Amino acid sequence: MAEFFTNLLGQDLGTLVWIVLRILVIVAPLLLGVAYLTYAERKVLGAMQLRKGPNVVGPFGLTQPLADGIKLFFKETIIPTDANKFVFVLAPALTFILALVAWAVIPFFEGGALANVNVGILYLFAISSLGVYGIIMAGWASNSKYAFLGSLRSAAQMVSYEVSIGFVLVAILLCVGSLNLSDVVHAQEKSVWFIVPHLPLFIIFYVSGLAETNRLPFDLPEGESELVAGYMVEYSAMTFALFFLGEYANMILMSGMITTLFLGGWLAPFGLAAPFGLVKLWGLFWFLAKIAVMLFGFLWVRATFPRYRYDQLMRLGWKVFLPFSLFWLVLTAGVLEYTGWMRS
Amino acid sequence: MSFFDRTARDWLLTELFSGMALTFRYMFKPRVTINYPYEKGPLSPRFRGEHALRRYPNGEERCIACKLCEAICPAQAITIEAEPRDDGSRRTTRYDIDMTKCIYCGFCQEACPVDAIVEGPNFEFATETRAELMYDKDKLLANGDRWEVELAARIEADAPYR
Amino acid sequence: MPVKLTIDGQEVEVEAGSTILQTADYMGIEIPRFCYHERLAIAGNCRMCLVEVEKSPKPVASCAMPVAEGMVVKTDTPMVKKAREGVLEFLLINHPLDCPICDQGGECDLQDETVAYGRGKSRFEENKRAVEDKDFGPNVKGTMTRCIHCTRCIRFITDVAGVPELGATGRGEHMEVGTYVEKALSSELSGNIVDLCPVGALTSRPYAFTARSWELKKTESVDVLDALGSAIRVDTRSNQVMRILPAINDDINEEWLGDKSRNSYDGLLRQRLDRPYVRNKKGKLEAASWGDALKAVAAKLTKAGGSKIAAIAGDLADAEAMVALKDLFTALGSANIDCRQDGAKIGGPRGSYIFNSGIAGIEEADALLLIGTNPRVEAPVLNARIRKRYLKGGFKVGAVGPAANLTYKHENFGDEAKILEAIASGKHDFAKVLKDAKRPMLIIGQGAVARADGDVILGLARKIAEATGMVTDGWNGFNMLHQAAARVGGLDLGFVPGKGGHDVAGILDGAEKGEIEVVYLLGADEIDMNRLGKAFVIYQGHHGDAGAHRADVVLPGAAYTEKGGTYVNTEGRVQVTRLAVFPPGEAKEDWKILRALAEVAGHAPGYDTIEQVRARLAQVNPVFGRLDELSPAAWEAFGAEGKVSGDAFAATIANYYMTDPISRASTTMAECTAAFVNTAAERTGTHG
Repeated sequence: MAEFFTNLLGQDLGTLVWIVLRILVIVAPLLLGVAYLTYAERKVLGAMQLRKGPNVVGPFGLTQPLADGIKLFFKETIIPTDANKFVFVLAPALTFILALVAWAVIPFFEGGALANVNVGILYLFAISSLGVYGIIMAGWASNSKYAFLGSLRSAAQMVSYEVSIGFVLVAILLCVGSLNLSDVVHAQEKSVWFIVPHLPLFIIFYVSGLAETNRLPFDLPEGESELVAGYMVEYSAMTFALFFLGEYANMILMSGMITTLFLGGWLAPFGLAAPFGLVKLWGLFWFLAKIAVMLFGFLWVRATFPRYRYDQLMRLGWKVFLPFSLFWLVLTAGVLEYTGWMRS
Repeated sequence: MSFFDRTARDWLLTELFSGMALTFRYMFKPRVTINYPYEKGPLSPRFRGEHALRRYPNGEERCIACKLCEAICPAQAITIEAEPRDDGSRRTTRYDIDMTKCIYCGFCQEACPVDAIVEGPNFEFATETRAELMYDKDKLLANGDRWEVELAARIEADAPYR
Repeated sequence: MPVKLTIDGQEVEVEAGSTILQTADYMGIEIPRFCYHERLAIAGNCRMCLVEVEKSPKPVASCAMPVAEGMVVKTDTPMVKKAREGVLEFLLINHPLDCPICDQGGECDLQDETVAYGRGKSRFEENKRAVEDKDFGPNVKGTMTRCIHCTRCIRFITDVAGVPELGATGRGEHMEVGTYVEKALSSELSGNIVDLCPVGALTSRPYAFTARSWELKKTESVDVLDALGSAIRVDTRSNQVMRILPAINDDINEEWLGDKSRNSYDGLLRQRLDRPYVRNKKGKLEAASWGDALKAVAAKLTKAGGSKIAAIAGDLADAEAMVALKDLFTALGSANIDCRQDGAKIGGPRGSYIFNSGIAGIEEADALLLIGTNPRVEAPVLNARIRKRYLKGGFKVGAVGPAANLTYKHENFGDEAKILEAIASGKHDFAKVLKDAKRPMLIIGQGAVARADGDVILGLARKIAEATGMVTDGWNGFNMLHQAAARVGGLDLGFVPGKGGHDVAGILDGAEKGEIEVVYLLGADEIDMNRLGKAFVIYQGHHGDAGAHRADVVLPGAAYTEKGGTYVNTEGRVQVTRLAVFPPGEAKEDWKILRALAEVAGHAPGYDTIEQVRARLAQVNPVFGRLDELSPAAWEAFGAEGKVSGDAFAATIANYYMTDPISRASTTMAECTAAFVNTAAERTGTHG
């Protein structure tokens, strides 16, 4: 395919078009996925609360996300008088863009990453750390005490959980010996999925992922009952929609990371062989299926647990997850050093 | 033992998983919501919905302007003015209910000595403007005429308990 | 001689002759009653007040039982409870229980006492009695099925009002209260039987079905439709007077009120002036803003100035407005002010124009001479007081003036003023009666002084008073009965022509001749508007009556229910009305209008608040500083010597029901007029 474009348009332009096309192929389904994730969330929550969920717009309410999108698109964007307009508008865009660019290094199937870089894990870590900027900017630019408090909470929360996420990543990459995400999957292909030896890490990573994406039970930055939607309180219409899309894209990204790091990425369970030789499609199917299961977990958790108190959140992050992940890191390193297991 | 028990439970996150198991089970239970505009739940004969002023079978309005409903109304939503009608009987010249003030407590129909003002079964009377919720006598009487069959049935059904 | 007895274990000492019920009331022990009323004769026919008296085998009706030494009364025993329950059950047998459509509902004695003392259930299953409704005229509505035969109304009409038109016919269950032949109650006090009726048998016809007692805001105020200043309670809902009831003031009206004062409130809604008007070049009154109207008035007043302007205060003007108007005219250099629209020749020393003995003083008098007055229409409540004194006996009443049915026995000596000369000189028989009386009294009406020789007649009255010993230490039997609520107040603050000033007659003459160019009418409607000539007329008042029709500028003022105005009644008692509702539209309190006008005219007075105006009133006459009390006036010489004319005293009030702008605007009063005054008048084809 790449050759087709370079032949047609010349080396530079052809490559560019090819890359842009590939980006579109990732982004467009991703946005669609985000849209239907909201639908799924409402349906799952509804089901768990003995309700029906959206069922009016379209068959089974399937076009509900579309209706919501259209509504948000046509609403007036209100920018508060005393807000810093530039930063105010920049913040949601930043959040949204960051949620998308991280996908560049995720391998969807064998060789199926947009950029199969060798510092994939580092890149992911960096991008997800940047996410806090969008929120801080939004809170500050709104010039509202609720938004500001919300953003401060969010920043503190994300920074705190990033630390344990970092140590989890270190433990994983100790086992892999590479920062390339495809290598992470290959390493699991060779031995077992990392969820098996690293089950506690998986849980820590999963919970930290909830906190990192401001999902329940860690949605304190939004805190409807205390902060009337937190850092997003002054946002409306498309600016709000961008935050919303960003948040859900982050959820999918987090699920993708978990899948890649712990669930063997595109690998089929029990080494099931691809039917009809469709290896890549088979990989993509399993990758997406695992993501879907992880996302269902996100919703399931939301339906089950009440919101944490902020001090409990901090205690959990710093006093439980951080020491435990440190301990696990040392343990992993010790075991690896002692047995030479997985050292290739 | 209890210490180990508890510690084991803590570390194995049993509470979390039992909670999640519960929500998961609920996901397959039958829904309790109904598809409102198409399906409707049952209404008690005592349901307190939109107000109506009733008439006697001969077409004479029941209300005698005793103003007991106005007096008992805790939201002071009812305004009545009265004067002798040409035939000398006591009738209202004005019977207004501010439906935006009304709290649907049903005291008015409890207070009414002639079953004139009643709260009917209708709860679907949303309007586009507030002004439309300022009900006057004509509107209330029209409601009474429209719902009379239901109203009479409801009152009869509830009669043994009064 | 005091008597000692015990009620409910409390020992008490009361005068012999009081009843058990009165004693219990005095002690604060409640005994329910229907037929008993403090101001009526005792009937003892409702049996609600039954109590247990020791050594008496049966319960005793406490309202009719005089106390006796050593009596032991119990009001809370099972026997009393049973008796009360039984009485109420019997009363309710034939009471229709139509409370929802009954105007008495909410203020009904039968309702209250049934709740407090009743059984809650009736054993009566037969058919109830029904009685045909009776027509009692435009003031009283009779729903006689509700009657419980307490006979309060009969006793009132017969005893207090003195018009024996009500009675009971039939016995037992067939007893009916009514006029024997169907007719309207002709008493001016008929409205009071509505208050007396403990149930809804007699209700107010004008008030019928319009309001409920619990939704009314009650404002205690003072009546101004006659000169008595009766205590009233103005019941209002939102910004509308729904009814007027008498309040209790033992010194003035006890608890009665004349029908005009009671039922002309609907006139407060009709014909009202609610915004300023200025007559345009086409000769039509045109709505104007306050600023424009006041500017126009101020320009006219200041341009003419001095003796070319004049002011007349009407009969309903409050003292605050009059003092403000007086101060304005003094500042403008005019002495042409007068508050006596009828031209009464009064205004000398205070003792000459007030009711010196006080209204309550009537009960102490033992002989009475009425001069040119018919108290029954001039002040019906005062007439009831005279009748009350008359009923006690030993009270001779003589009258000089037009013959009238005064409801009590009196001797009319004719209507010629000369008779007074005979009485004054002692030649007349009645002079001896007065002389022999310990506390003789005369009441001189406006009909006697509002005539050309009024001051001579006033002098004659003084002579009679002095000759027959009416003025002694602690007793002053010289009484003037006014008809206008504003009159005494106006005289007290000197709203009479100053040096070189014209009185009403002079003002009208001047206006007719063109000497007076601007006339300011403060609610004055009783003058002959045709005689105002080409004068520029300013009318300040609350009703579109004669004055407003003639006026070139109309300034809307407040009626007596809409302002806190000071009025001095015929006794010289200073009383203040209270604001019950707000004036309609752009109308303002009268003194405020005059205060604003004075400022526009460049003569801002030294008062901005009602308190400051009242202080100014007290400065003009210290009497105004003493609210609600009588200030005895010194006895000084007044009146004039001279020859009385041969003219007969004329009746001053042709129609009791319409004497002022408010009652003239009232439809109820129009109905009363049709029912009582114009009955003999020829009915034309347009009548019904």
